[in-house]
Amino acid sequence: MTVSERILSSPVGEPHVPFVTNGKFQYAYCIIAVHDVKMTRALDEISEIVRYKEFLRNLVMRDIKVRYKRSVLGFLWVMLNPLLMMLILSTVFSEVFKVSTKNYTTYLISGIILWNFFSQSTVTSLRSIFGNGNLIKKVYVPKAIFPLSIILSAMINFVFSLVPLLIIFFITGTSVSLNIYLVPVIIILVALFSFGISLILSTLTVFFHDTIYIYDVLLLAWMYATPIFFPESIIPQRFLFILNLNPLYYFLTTFRAALFMDGSFIFGKLMCSLLFSLAALAAGLVVYSRYRDRLIYYL
Amino acid sequence: MKRLAIEIEGVSVRYRLAKEKPKTLQEYVIQRLKGRKMDYEAFWAIRGVTIHVTKGETLGIIGHNGAGKSTLLKIIAGVLKPTEGLVTVNGKIAPLIEISAGFDMELTGVENIFLNASMLGLSRKEIESRIDPIVDFSELHEFIHSPLRSYSSGMIARLGFSIATAVDPDILIIDESLSVGDERFRRKFDMRIDELKMRGTTLLLVSHMMGDIERLCDKILWLDHGRLKAYSSDVEEVIKSYTA
Repeated sequence: MTVSERILSSPVGEPHVPFVTNGKFQYAYCIIAVHDVKMTRALDEISEIVRYKEFLRNLVMRDIKVRYKRSVLGFLWVMLNPLLMMLILSTVFSEVFKVSTKNYTTYLISGIILWNFFSQSTVTSLRSIFGNGNLIKKVYVPKAIFPLSIILSAMINFVFSLVPLLIIFFITGTSVSLNIYLVPVIIILVALFSFGISLILSTLTVFFHDTIYIYDVLLLAWMYATPIFFPESIIPQRFLFILNLNPLYYFLTTFRAALFMDGSFIFGKLMCSLLFSLAALAAGLVVYSRYRDRLIYYL
Repeated sequence: MKRLAIEIEGVSVRYRLAKEKPKTLQEYVIQRLKGRKMDYEAFWAIRGVTIHVTKGETLGIIGHNGAGKSTLLKIIAGVLKPTEGLVTVNGKIAPLIEISAGFDMELTGVENIFLNASMLGLSRKEIESRIDPIVDFSELHEFIHSPLRSYSSGMIARLGFSIATAVDPDILIIDESLSVGDERFRRKFDMRIDELKMRGTTLLLVSHMMGDIERLCDKILWLDHGRLKAYSSDVEEVIKSYTA
């Protein structure tokens, strides 16, 4: 029988001296400066999630199972969806709008799957804390585990959606870049970025239920600011700054460079991607830690 | 000295109910721009409560609706942090979860066992070793691989109770869910409770059924409007005053 001693103390938001025993190891930390509280709280959360890793695992499996249990094509749909989207979009853009980029189909489908990963994971995780309110009100669980489970299951879906991408590679005879080993790195960076964003969004949604509508519109604009269907080259000079401020632009270009495109610029953009990921993660953890204890009152 | 399972010192919980709570981001921004500060009304759900529960004790918690019982349980479970005071809990807590929370209707019984037990803090190995006892106790052998959608509410309650007690918690919180279940289940339930008591599990029982409280509890706590009206081992007396 493991005995875990948990001291829940002190007024919310003030520095306190928590002493936590975990059976296996003991750690006590004295928090002196108030600004340290937020970061240590954030680290607390991560170690808590590790403690609940079996629960996280079951949450991810639940997300995946429930998503495909009642659908006819099952999880083949994960692969079919981007393929179909790509077919429709490539027809529209290359035949109707006469866009011509080298390897346009590969360009398109790589954009679609990366964008879907980011947009779907953030949109779904928006309601993850609020939606599990009944549970949170009864049992203690580290609440960040809910958005995290969404990001992880989205990551698994993303890996499956690489299959149609490879099929397209094969069909169009596109050659694979030498930087292909960077693909997992980029996936992880996008996941970290999405997690940071989802922490902010899921916390906000508990207080303000209309966050979803605002974010939906934001995403629409964001999508057009990202070179998913169009090549970078058609953007007029005066609008280029939008691309440079868009984190997804960096993720997407490095993703494509690691897959098949000319990658001379890749390491510079990869550094920017890393910075954006860490910034989003830090922002997410700070926002979440700050409002975490207040969430329960609004669930 | 007997080991203390739960120590609550001078705990108070304040809810701040904003008078006109902006439910949308839009409203919030507009109100802030107008320079209007939020009007808050303070509501003390519990005030200055001090309790010491020894290990193995069964504590009954009674009070009218809105007295603060659920809030107290939330504090103990770690779901809510107190506005004032110190809470110390020694041991693993398992709350008997309400029927709707915790279970996912699309998943099967087994999948839900994993989900629920891991939520209460068990590792994969620990859960695997307890699946059989859980299924046996809940008597759901034929249904355990069917989705929970197909279960009756009684079956779901049985499953919930089996899992919560199989977790082998140090502290079990039972929050008014004794009402569900047929005669046979009630008997099993009572047996399990006695088993747990013999094993030294600390029980917290919140109920309006005075019969159960009298029968099972060593000590009783009466909460009235968030304050401790009575806290003693003379269960009968307190119940008499409460029902008077």
